[in-house]
Amino acid sequence: MTHLDTELQLLKKSLIEMFALVIHQMNKAKEAVAKFDKDLASDVDINEKRVNVYELKIDRDCENILALYNPVAIDLRLVLASLKINYNLERIGDYAQGIALIVKDAKRPFDKELFSKTKVLDMFYTSIVIMNDAMEAFETENHHLARTIFTKDEKLDEINRKANYSISELIINKPEEIQQCLNILSVIRKLERVGDQTKNIAEEIIFYTEAKVLKHRTKKKEK
Amino acid sequence: MESSVLKSENFNAWFGSAQVLKDVSIEITRNQVTAVMGPSGCGKTTFIRCINRMHELTHDASVSGKILFDDTDVYKISPILLRRKIGMVFQQPNPFPTMSIYQNIIAGYTLNGISLTKIQKDDVVEQSLVKTSLWDEVKDNLHKKGTFLSGGQQQRLCIARSIAMKPEILLLDEPTSALDPISTSKIEELLYELKKQYTIIIVTHNMQQAGRISDKTAFFYIGELIEYGKTKDIFTNPKHERTQNYITGRFG
Amino acid sequence: MENNISFRNFKNYFFKAIILLLTAVSVVPLMLILYYIVRQGISAINWDFFVNLPKPVGEIGGGIFNAIIGSIIIIFLASLIAIPIGVSIGIYLSENSKSRISYFSRLSVDVLQGIPSIVLGIIIYLWFVKPFGGFSAISGSIALSLIMLPSIIKSTEETLKLIPNSLKEASLALGVPFYKTILRVIIPAGFSGILSGIILGIARISGETAPLLFTSFGNPFTSYNVLKPMSSIPLIIFNYATSPYEDWHRLAWGASFILIIFILFLNILTKLTEKKWKVQF
Repeated sequence: MTHLDTELQLLKKSLIEMFALVIHQMNKAKEAVAKFDKDLASDVDINEKRVNVYELKIDRDCENILALYNPVAIDLRLVLASLKINYNLERIGDYAQGIALIVKDAKRPFDKELFSKTKVLDMFYTSIVIMNDAMEAFETENHHLARTIFTKDEKLDEINRKANYSISELIINKPEEIQQCLNILSVIRKLERVGDQTKNIAEEIIFYTEAKVLKHRTKKKEK
Repeated sequence: MESSVLKSENFNAWFGSAQVLKDVSIEITRNQVTAVMGPSGCGKTTFIRCINRMHELTHDASVSGKILFDDTDVYKISPILLRRKIGMVFQQPNPFPTMSIYQNIIAGYTLNGISLTKIQKDDVVEQSLVKTSLWDEVKDNLHKKGTFLSGGQQQRLCIARSIAMKPEILLLDEPTSALDPISTSKIEELLYELKKQYTIIIVTHNMQQAGRISDKTAFFYIGELIEYGKTKDIFTNPKHERTQNYITGRFG
Repeated sequence: MENNISFRNFKNYFFKAIILLLTAVSVVPLMLILYYIVRQGISAINWDFFVNLPKPVGEIGGGIFNAIIGSIIIIFLASLIAIPIGVSIGIYLSENSKSRISYFSRLSVDVLQGIPSIVLGIIIYLWFVKPFGGFSAISGSIALSLIMLPSIIKSTEETLKLIPNSLKEASLALGVPFYKTILRVIIPAGFSGILSGIILGIARISGETAPLLFTSFGNPFTSYNVLKPMSSIPLIIFNYATSPYEDWHRLAWGASFILIIFILFLNILTKLTEKKWKVQF
């Protein structure tokens, strides 16, 4: 194994650790929302720092690898993909923190009807599934798995689209719950963006493994 | 824990009246690869040749200042003994043509009249060849002449010959300039392994090579040490403009 | 256009023909000489020729045993003197090409090479023969060694100059002292060139007659005493060929034949040496 191979292995390892950390944050955020657990929410908030530390380290490592080893072909694509995935993961971390802060600041637990009408917990569940898929796809260079993320993400988009309607209905029926409804709407929006970021990660994985660029294609061509 | 094995203090060198090194002060860290680079004529080769006192073999060469090896001034100990502790590998592979591979490896001992038993000799030869990844390639041909090997193998033989003397420091003067890319990368991997046991100082005009294998880099320009630091830092954010110009290929 | 080409072809062909002709002109006489010597000399060669001493005038038969022994001893001694000195000077010159001493040394060697061998013979006569009261084989060897020296010095210097500097540096970088580097790395590497120079030097002096006239002088009997006069092959060729005796002429031809064969052998040996000991860098 060459020196460069060692560095690339370490880079992948760092990214996977960051992946695991961010997924853990999302899981905790989900539990915090579902069980209205403010302690858990604080936990997520505090641990966001660790996500940022990873982001800085991975950025520096990529810069060093490019400067010192002039990687080409698949090695270069790995480094470029890593830089972007790094950014995506950091954003997801931010969203997890955002969701946790919503729970922290909320005055009362969420109504069960809120959950069932908006399907927000389904969203959580799906977004964590596709994040795990993405992590596995990255680790095992499995572009087939990466592709399945696009279809699963559509579920998130669907829930998000219907959210406006379901939330407005809920507000009309129970006006006193307006604060909570708006909070849940915020959570839904953030989860939709988490889905987007994960989709971006999937595109980067496909770029890295297949050298195919899937960005900015119309919905029809996406397969 | 980084410790320094070699230090130069305000070191100068001349060929006749032409000054080739000006006021060079540098500390080399133990068990690391330090790359010395710079454009042609910057004094990098002269500098390492001063470390093992090969510089003074040239007619009209002179020096001033100090070079301390493990806190001893190299100009105060016998150059013969010094060169047994500081090995050197040159740009052109130069195995002794009248000797077999076996004899080449132990040449440092036999030519110096240091006697070893057959077992000790076999041991030294095998260990040195294993460390330079040559053992499997030549173990059945130890008594053939070294000049029948390919360029890359010859150079590894020369490295094996130097490390057979168990030096503390290994100086390499553009060791892969005359080799093809595959031999070059084999030797680069070798140096990366060797640094666990030896301190390596390598002169190179190939910047990518310096980036690939060195921990620290020293940049020389017209005899002066312009910048010295971690290779990562020099290649991502050099402090001096000249360093940056050289690295980005904007001059020389 | 076509005319031009065919004329140029003709010029080419003509030029090649001229060169071949000139080569033949220089080779043919050599061949004729060798042939003549062989034809004249071979009739004298028999076992007696090698083993016996020359017989007194008038008697048939006899050989050149004393001359053969004499030549061997004188050449051997001359080599013994010239080789160490010559190789050492050659080493010095190759190591110090720029100093004043080197410049004058090279000049002296060139001059020495140009001195006629008979003059060298006379000088050695004045320096060694007269003061010590008589002719001797050793003074002959000294004279011959002076003739051998330039050839050995030059070929040693040239051979060592061709050895890449990196070899010396490789040895020095291992902590090997300078003198050992020269003795055990450089000289072995240049061995073929140095040996060739020595063999050619020997071939050169094998046929030198003039200096021996004034130094070893000659001896009708077999002698092993280097402090006394000694016979040698060129000397008897000179003496016998210029004598009026038919039989001695025969011996002279035989001796010439032997000498030519010997020199031919040395030249072939040189070529073989170069091939066998040639070191690749």
